[in-house]
Amino acid sequence: MNQTDSSAQEIVIEFTGLKKTYGAFEAVKGVDLSVRRGELFGFLGPNGAGKTTIIRIMTGIIRPTDGRVSIGGVDLLAEPEKAKIRMGYIPDRPYLYEKLTPMEYFDFIGGLYALDPEIAKQRGENMLRFFSLWDWRNELIEGFSHGMKQKVAMSASLLHDPDILVVDEPMVGLDPRSVRLVKDFFLNLTKRGKTIFLTTHTLSVAEDLCDRIGIIQRGRVVALGSLDELRSRSSDVTFDLESIFLQITEEEDEVAHGNPPEARLPAAVSNEF
Amino acid sequence: MLSALIAGGCITIFGIFFGLYMFLAYVIKAPMLGPILGPVIGSLIVNKLLEMIIVALFCMIVFSSIIAAFSVFYLDDEIRLLISSPVAIANIFWSRFVLMLVESSWMASIFFLPIFLAFCAASKAPFWAFFLYPVYLFIYLLLPNVLGGLTALILGSLFPIRQMRKVFQFLSVLVLAGMVFFFRYLEPEKLLNPNYFPSVSTYILSLRTSSLDWFPSTYLREASLHLFAGRLSDSLEAFLPLIGMVLSGLLLLHLFAAAFYRISWQKSLEAVENQVLSLEWVRRILIYPFRWFSHDVRVVCSKEITFFFRDPAVFSQLFMMIAIVIVYGYNLSILPLKDLPQLYSGEMNDTLVYFNGPFIGFILAAISMRFVYPSISLEGRAFWVVKSSPIPPSRLMVIKFFLYLIPNMLLGWALCMISNSLFVVTSQTLRVISFANVTIMAVVTTALAIGLGAVYARFDMDNPLKVAGSFGGFVYMIANGLFIINLLACQVYPMYRFYFSRFYPLRDLTGKVLIGFSLTMLLVCVIAWSAIPLIRGREAIERYEPN
Repeated sequence: MNQTDSSAQEIVIEFTGLKKTYGAFEAVKGVDLSVRRGELFGFLGPNGAGKTTIIRIMTGIIRPTDGRVSIGGVDLLAEPEKAKIRMGYIPDRPYLYEKLTPMEYFDFIGGLYALDPEIAKQRGENMLRFFSLWDWRNELIEGFSHGMKQKVAMSASLLHDPDILVVDEPMVGLDPRSVRLVKDFFLNLTKRGKTIFLTTHTLSVAEDLCDRIGIIQRGRVVALGSLDELRSRSSDVTFDLESIFLQITEEEDEVAHGNPPEARLPAAVSNEF
Repeated sequence: MLSALIAGGCITIFGIFFGLYMFLAYVIKAPMLGPILGPVIGSLIVNKLLEMIIVALFCMIVFSSIIAAFSVFYLDDEIRLLISSPVAIANIFWSRFVLMLVESSWMASIFFLPIFLAFCAASKAPFWAFFLYPVYLFIYLLLPNVLGGLTALILGSLFPIRQMRKVFQFLSVLVLAGMVFFFRYLEPEKLLNPNYFPSVSTYILSLRTSSLDWFPSTYLREASLHLFAGRLSDSLEAFLPLIGMVLSGLLLLHLFAAAFYRISWQKSLEAVENQVLSLEWVRRILIYPFRWFSHDVRVVCSKEITFFFRDPAVFSQLFMMIAIVIVYGYNLSILPLKDLPQLYSGEMNDTLVYFNGPFIGFILAAISMRFVYPSISLEGRAFWVVKSSPIPPSRLMVIKFFLYLIPNMLLGWALCMISNSLFVVTSQTLRVISFANVTIMAVVTTALAIGLGAVYARFDMDNPLKVAGSFGGFVYMIANGLFIINLLACQVYPMYRFYFSRFYPLRDLTGKVLIGFSLTMLLVCVIAWSAIPLIRGREAIERYEPN
């Protein structure tokens, strides 16, 4: 095995026995997962399955109730600063400092990551040109649309050239041209050896981009593998990701509730709609 | 925690009540003027003071309600939902008005109520007056709120409320006009100096008549005086015109709201101005020195300064604060200090310096509550940026603490310098003590503001007025009150020995030990008052999990 192969096999994200509870509610129930360097890993699941909770744990925004998170070999809980500097994070809702212009925002983010202001400025300008936001560089973020804010958040997350990019619902609010742009950009990043961990409800995005996919339901990883591996698990090998996703999550529902999903729809609701 | 808070609140409120009661009970007798003239002039001076406080409360609530009305009537997000609902516009307006009323008045009410009750007690009012007086005050407070609401509605109808430059130009004119009015027509300096008058009878006459016949405060003053004397029917009769004013104001507000609220709200959506007040050059100058600091310090400080200049909700508070500082300075300048040595001992001015310290402390606390306390909350929903970055939240708190400590301390020193020169402080030691006290108070008020601001952080609120007016803001003010009482208590013995050292030199060992003990306690208390809130704040924001 040569140097490149061994580096590609290197595990850069690892969850061990990860748990998160809110009172009596278990949002994440002992997740074990690892992602290799250069991989574009897709994390799918129904609403409330625990995707965003896991992403917030791995970015250090919230603390797990139990378990361990390793980022680039660094224990996130023991050395959060060392682990966080290796990551860039793009949240699902781009709440930014709205009284700043994009360039001022980049300067702020650059400062938090101890980046030289000139480098932050240069990279920020490049990103604004890339996302066609150059004309808005001196406008306050508060006047931006959701998609524009998402692009600013995306640009800011890459300023310090992180090895790992964590992305929660990247395509929400983006126009089709930008979606294409972002997809190509992510693929380009993984070619450069960067690792991307993304969650999405847009299954076509996951299908197009991801090397491996994990499906989470009710706080547990219920399926994990490449698209072909997931397909082989389904009843029909010609299934697309959407069909596979629906089949797996419905099977899990049946296991959890002991009856088919349609039978669980309350009669009143059924009649109403 | 809650019981400690209630206890602290009660102690502070009782402290205000009792301190003022003792002062008024002394002034009402005015023993230095003799047994006959003393009580006559003393009670008139107390009544005059009452009128001044009533006017000051009115002005304070007017400004507070205008600022609150901007956000409650126009800027809050939930108004979009309300306007799109089938609820009548007048009903929406009145629901917002109630919100504005609470936001603008609740804290002032809590701190002013013991002040007014101290007047009741000092005037030996009957027990039922203590229950009726809060009702009078509530009705009276409706009036400045109606005025504030009307002003906001008119401003909103004239131009888009988000074009804050015009709003602030208008407000600054209003503040200036208020100042001129206060100083030129109320002439508070005459109250304390009989030399302004050719004879005692003219002086008494001037004290007896109200300075502002047509102002709502006159009716409350008259009603209060009858109430204190136990004349209920006279009191109600004097209060009736005020009730008429309030009802007319509410009717006018209703008509205005029905006609203009929807239009002005729609207008408020039209324009968002990027730069507030065109003070970009000031912002650039202020952030320039931070380029020599570490990366995180530079960017956090630059962001805070930028927000200050660009967020109209933050900037607008400045007008009220400037007004408070000017009123403070002016009130000091009119004190008849030149005449006092004839009546009292030469130590009077020096004693006043000691008691002036807590006043500066309260000014610093009031300013910190508006600007420093909300600073953690104003990170808002973007707080994830810091939480996911390699900067620990504690570092953010420390940077903010030092950033806000600088202007707070400079302001404290400036006020101290002005008051020392007005009091013509003779003792070098006392001058040093006064500066040391202000430094201590600046450190503690800032630490409390940052620490409690983190403990009670409201990341869902984007208006500093709302943050300051929330439960945590109340806790902050109570904590400041307790700290100032604590500071005075620790210093009381050393200051007593200092003032009387001329007649009672410090030679005994017990005195020296007690002074040493007091100063050690002072040091321990200052460290505790600064460190505990910062530690608790750090724990709170490290625990905080954004939605």
